Amino acid sequence: MWNPKFVKPSKFAKDAPLALALAFGMALTGCGNAGNSNTAAADPSSASDSTKTEQSQPADNKLVVYTAGPEGLANKLIEGYQAESGVQVDMFQGTTGKILARLEAEKSNPAADVVILASLPAAQGLKDDGLTLAYPEAKNADKLNADWSDAEGNYFSSSASALGIAYNTSLISTPPTSWADLSKPEYKDQVNIPDPSLSGSALDFMTGYLNANGDSGWDLFQSYKDNGAVLAGANKEALDPVITGAKGIVASAVDYMTYSAKAKGEPIDIVYPSEGTIISPRPAAILKSTQHKENAKAFIDYLLSDEAQKMVTNAYLMPGRTDIKADNRANLDEIPQLKADWNWMSENGAEVTERFLKLFK
Amino acid sequence: MFNSFSLKPIRGLSVLLALLVLGGLIVVPLAEIFIQSVYRDGELQWAAPFRTIADSDSARVMLNTVWLGLCVILGTTLLALPLAWIMANTAIGRKRWLDIVLLIPFMTPPYIGSMGWILFMQKNGYLSQLIPGLSNLTPAFFSFMGMVTIMSLHLFPFLYLLLRGALERIGGSLEEAGAVMGATPFYRFRRIIVPLLLSSFGMGAMLVFVKTIAEFGTPATFGRKIGYDVMTSEIHRYISSWPISFGTATSLSSLLLTACLLMWYVQSVLSRRFTYSLVGGKGSRRSSLRSGGPILWVSILFVFLLLLFSIGIPYFSIIAASTMKLRGVGLSWNNLTLDAYRELLRWGNPGMKALMSSIWLSLAASTIAVVLGTWCALLIRRSQTASQRMVDLISLMPNTVPGIVMVVGLILLWNSPWMPIPLYNTYGMVVLTYVVLFLPYTVQYVKSAAGQIDGSLMQAGQVFGGRPAYLLRRITLPLILPGMLAGWMMTFTISARELVASLLILPPSVQTSATFIFAQFEQGEVSLGMAMAVVSVGFTTLILITMESLGSRRKWNR
Repeated sequence: MWNPKFVKPSKFAKDAPLALALAFGMALTGCGNAGNSNTAAADPSSASDSTKTEQSQPADNKLVVYTAGPEGLANKLIEGYQAESGVQVDMFQGTTGKILARLEAEKSNPAADVVILASLPAAQGLKDDGLTLAYPEAKNADKLNADWSDAEGNYFSSSASALGIAYNTSLISTPPTSWADLSKPEYKDQVNIPDPSLSGSALDFMTGYLNANGDSGWDLFQSYKDNGAVLAGANKEALDPVITGAKGIVASAVDYMTYSAKAKGEPIDIVYPSEGTIISPRPAAILKSTQHKENAKAFIDYLLSDEAQKMVTNAYLMPGRTDIKADNRANLDEIPQLKADWNWMSENGAEVTERFLKLFK
Repeated sequence: MFNSFSLKPIRGLSVLLALLVLGGLIVVPLAEIFIQSVYRDGELQWAAPFRTIADSDSARVMLNTVWLGLCVILGTTLLALPLAWIMANTAIGRKRWLDIVLLIPFMTPPYIGSMGWILFMQKNGYLSQLIPGLSNLTPAFFSFMGMVTIMSLHLFPFLYLLLRGALERIGGSLEEAGAVMGATPFYRFRRIIVPLLLSSFGMGAMLVFVKTIAEFGTPATFGRKIGYDVMTSEIHRYISSWPISFGTATSLSSLLLTACLLMWYVQSVLSRRFTYSLVGGKGSRRSSLRSGGPILWVSILFVFLLLLFSIGIPYFSIIAASTMKLRGVGLSWNNLTLDAYRELLRWGNPGMKALMSSIWLSLAASTIAVVLGTWCALLIRRSQTASQRMVDLISLMPNTVPGIVMVVGLILLWNSPWMPIPLYNTYGMVVLTYVVLFLPYTVQYVKSAAGQIDGSLMQAGQVFGGRPAYLLRRITLPLILPGMLAGWMMTFTISARELVASLLILPPSVQTSATFIFAQFEQGEVSLGMAMAVVSVGFTTLILITMESLGSRRKWNR
């Protein structure tokens, strides 16, 4: 089981003492009317919308997508898909960590149909727990980078980002060129690291680096800590102080965010360290609990279409399809990579997160 | 009298119904937390929460939390006590506009205030751009002391309002009597003011303490930066980021809940022992001991500095950040743009939608809360019977319980597999949560308004043959209307900026202005988030001022 602890509530329900059931009965009489009238009063427009659409088109034109990653891109993808299919999409936007947590919290009443995560191990975890629905016949799936997607069609990486070292160009005159450089005294107290419990891609880098370097990989992180590096929330929260000049460097920064800030004119740039780095694919998966199977499949098809892949490159991400190249960023073959085993990374993610958080506390 | 006799069974039923509603809304979710924390893997394990608390480093986090609470009490006292004295005793106190201005720090969402401070004080932040010489303050500010400062500057209005009220009730005559007998100012302060203030101070300090340890915004922004964990941020981490653990979250919640209830108990015992009756037949009047000269100038300076630090600096940062073209360039005139506002206020923009849903949700929540709260308050009225006291206690509970704990309880209850009402993940759940969280405000305001209605009014009405419904409509309602209005405004303002509950319970594809801002800091454009902060605070202030002026015009006419 992915997180066995969570089964608890359902078991609890069986053993629920009579007293509580009674108390709950009281709650029902009490708030039944209040609650219902709330829903109606709170948002009459959406309520009437959904009933209208359900009546006119009983088929099914709803889809709930939980997505990580750049908000602009997510909005565009959803808009594009809505325009193409006429399906009404509800979207929850958060970091990979928040999405997984929300899925977990809603396990008893699943709401999501499709998830787009920023971490491959997270998608593998979903698959291993039997939570994903296979869709091997997805259009264009054969053109995807085979290393990043599931051969059985449980998840599809429609985009990817590489982890690098982002730095403020007006503060850092000699940019670092390797991961090891960041423990040098000239970068003391300058380094921000994204929190692996919030950023799936940061976690990918950490597990990938540890997998490639064995246990001695921890020495690098220890040396970062000794050099005054701090954990700083999710990717954007780590990058923003570097843009404003409060910090100089983000270690394991997602590159698309840096590219887009740089394109805006912010004093920032990125290097891919010489030891090699991890490229973190962003997998999309259909959940088995979906109530809107056909729409979910159509959405996956859309993600892999030429149009959506164009949007991906416009957001400075690496396209998931090998036949499409980006012209505004480094492509796959230009980035030195670490040799890492995704299965190992997937298995050890939780442990690495915990140890990492302890180290930086 | 006859009337009230025949009403008795209805009244009793009504109280019973209120108890059921409140029990379901408030008590069951809280009970759920305790139950879930002792149920592990489907069996009862009394030791489980203690094990969790011992395993994780929650003891340290709890100590952090309590220490923070105590320090913030000290900080707010240092700010609020002189201010209350100044406003009660000098000419500055007669400036009415100060009353509204002094509420602004409290109306500013705490996470926004902290972000403002961070942007101002951080390395190469606005302070060092304006006055490069002061940049060595940065490391000193990014410390525990900085966190206490930020939170004190946010919370001092609570304590100030209570202390000022108490000082005005004390009036000038007691102090003058002391002065006539030859007591020095210090002696008068020690022997007259302090004992008389103690009860109000205890109440205010306790309120500040509970607000501090229940606070989420500042720990989530500033606290995370300096690595100072408190209970609320830990609970939030365990339920919203990977790896998730409801068991730990409920154990921590139980711990925090127990601490708050304990504090409240201590406070009520203390305040019962140190209460003096101050309102006598003679009207109280202001002291005439000091009013001009150097004291006035020192007072003006104090008020000015307080406003500068509590409002000036955070709002300078917020507005500066919201109007920047390039954040890397910093403060400079040619880096100024209103693009973020233009983007935000474009119809159909996610930000605009978030603002609209904030307003709708708060309107619905405040209206329901006022109806429910007024009903409860009228039932409690004089709290003669045990069941009335129960209604009183329960309806005020959400104010003593940290918001995040209440929300965890509500999620556990409404998202459990056996819950037949599919409220979770709908708008209804959000409104329900706001109503529960902010019910105490209406209850409190209406209760105090109703408490002032003299019984003779009702008797007079009955003598002239008024039926209960008529009495309610023509006597009670008009008199408690200001209280209802105050409750409505308070609920509206607070729910419009509520963060922690919204983060946890909003259905997918819905954002409120608060979560929109938070999301911008996390993933999107900081300038857009700051623009949203300015717009939403401005909007709520506008509504408040409108309501306030409507309310005062009504009084004026009468």
